[in-house]
Amino acid sequence: MSLIDLKSIYTAYEGGDKPVIKDLSLDVDRGEYVVIGGPNSAGKTTLLESINGLVKITHGQANVCGLNVACSADEVRKRVGYVIQNFFFDPFTPFTVEQVVMMGRYGRLGLLKHPEQSDYDAAQRAIELVGIEDLVHKTIGTLSGGQQQKTMIAHNIAKEPEVMMLDEPFSNLDFYAREYLQGVFKEIVRKGVPILMVAHAFDGLPDIPIHLIVMNRGRITYDMSCRASEVEDIIRKECKVKG
Amino acid sequence: MLEPLIQNNVVCHALEAMIFSSIACSILGVIISRMNLSSIGFTMSHAAFAGAAIGMFLGGNAQVAAIAFSMAVAALIGPVSDKAKMAADATLAVLFAMSMAVAIFLISYMEYMGKGLSASALLFGDVISLYREEIYALASVCILSIFFVLVFYKEISAIMFNMKIAEASGIRVKLVYYILLFIIAISVALSLNIVGGLLIFVLLVTPASIASQFCFNVRSMFVAAPLIALSVSAFGVWAGFEFTLPVAPLVALLLTGVFAISVMLSFKRRINTKIH
Repeated sequence: MSLIDLKSIYTAYEGGDKPVIKDLSLDVDRGEYVVIGGPNSAGKTTLLESINGLVKITHGQANVCGLNVACSADEVRKRVGYVIQNFFFDPFTPFTVEQVVMMGRYGRLGLLKHPEQSDYDAAQRAIELVGIEDLVHKTIGTLSGGQQQKTMIAHNIAKEPEVMMLDEPFSNLDFYAREYLQGVFKEIVRKGVPILMVAHAFDGLPDIPIHLIVMNRGRITYDMSCRASEVEDIIRKECKVKG
Repeated sequence: MLEPLIQNNVVCHALEAMIFSSIACSILGVIISRMNLSSIGFTMSHAAFAGAAIGMFLGGNAQVAAIAFSMAVAALIGPVSDKAKMAADATLAVLFAMSMAVAIFLISYMEYMGKGLSASALLFGDVISLYREEIYALASVCILSIFFVLVFYKEISAIMFNMKIAEASGIRVKLVYYILLFIIAISVALSLNIVGGLLIFVLLVTPASIASQFCFNVRSMFVAAPLIALSVSAFGVWAGFEFTLPVAPLVALLLTGVFAISVMLSFKRRINTKIH
């Protein structure tokens, strides 16, 4: 069975007159680098949040990491890393970067269990991998948007997830940081952890086969493998945007 | 507990009650203030007030009724917010209005019926006439609050950081949030007799706000807020009895004064103007 196995799923928000995702099926295996593109309000974020059970699936069957999302959403979220799209931390947020990265382990640990040395080690490895060692003692609210973004990526890497989902992870990052993190993601994929990344900018994608998903109005309109260099053209074509 | 140190039983009981209440409320206040749920103190205190009015109206134990009604309101906050898709603050405002309406309705009705219900003890508290059992109950709730923070520290800190990120991490946010609401309900209901429904808000919000002016991490806030609350409350009880002043309002004023000073002195707001 695929690590992510969605069969004809529908999702809708309360009060919405139409489903946001309609009759969507998707298979993702270990070690795949999935790029999800499409216009605004195509349902890309909703798809990610349906996969980890943050948004309820109204019809269809969703299995993630061998678990039924409808019955075991909490368990699924412990195994799936998810870098959310929008976050805001006020300047007085009393948490350091080190603490925030460590929090990535908390869900996995479960209730009433305290972090052990192996958890601190995982957090330290994530900090080093993302390259934020110089920020560990700073409070997150005092950092720039890009530094906060890197911290949230490290928070999810520390979790050592079985699936990694990233919603516009490069929105606050400069070119160098994007290129560096693409290398980090390539390494994660090489270890067998699939990445699902919603993005609007595709420069610096790693030179590996890309599983490209294009969405429009809640449906998948394109679901094929391609080269990194082809991603932008395919999305433009699918969304009928002139290049 | 403090009898060997303080000869006067009334002062001793007042001090013990104030210490336990201020520690419990200030610890919970740290969580509440970070989650932008400050109005929970206001709502829960008025729920306890309404519960006490129901208890008196039915001729039962006002405090037991206050706890029961507060817990019922606490049980409603989460599900109503989820169901109505409203911010918890809006739900709190609705439940506050409902609680206040129940309390005023019953008090007015009893006055009209000639039964005469004095609301002043519930509104302003009465530290002088406390029973030993009430102090034991407050000590228990104080221990419960400390225990809650120690046991669920990692979940609480993640929720205080960001609720959505905590949920996405696989933390059982709702479970911890609902337990928190219940402990607040019990703490507020039991503290009602001491500082009253109107001033309990001060114990919940002000010590945490003072601590936030100086603390850079949440762990130190959990230590600083109860220490501030305890020191000011103990001083307030001593000063109240020494100079024959109303204890609860005095403590509230002292805490507000300390808050004002802490805002002026806070080094967190200092801007480095050095060029080199």
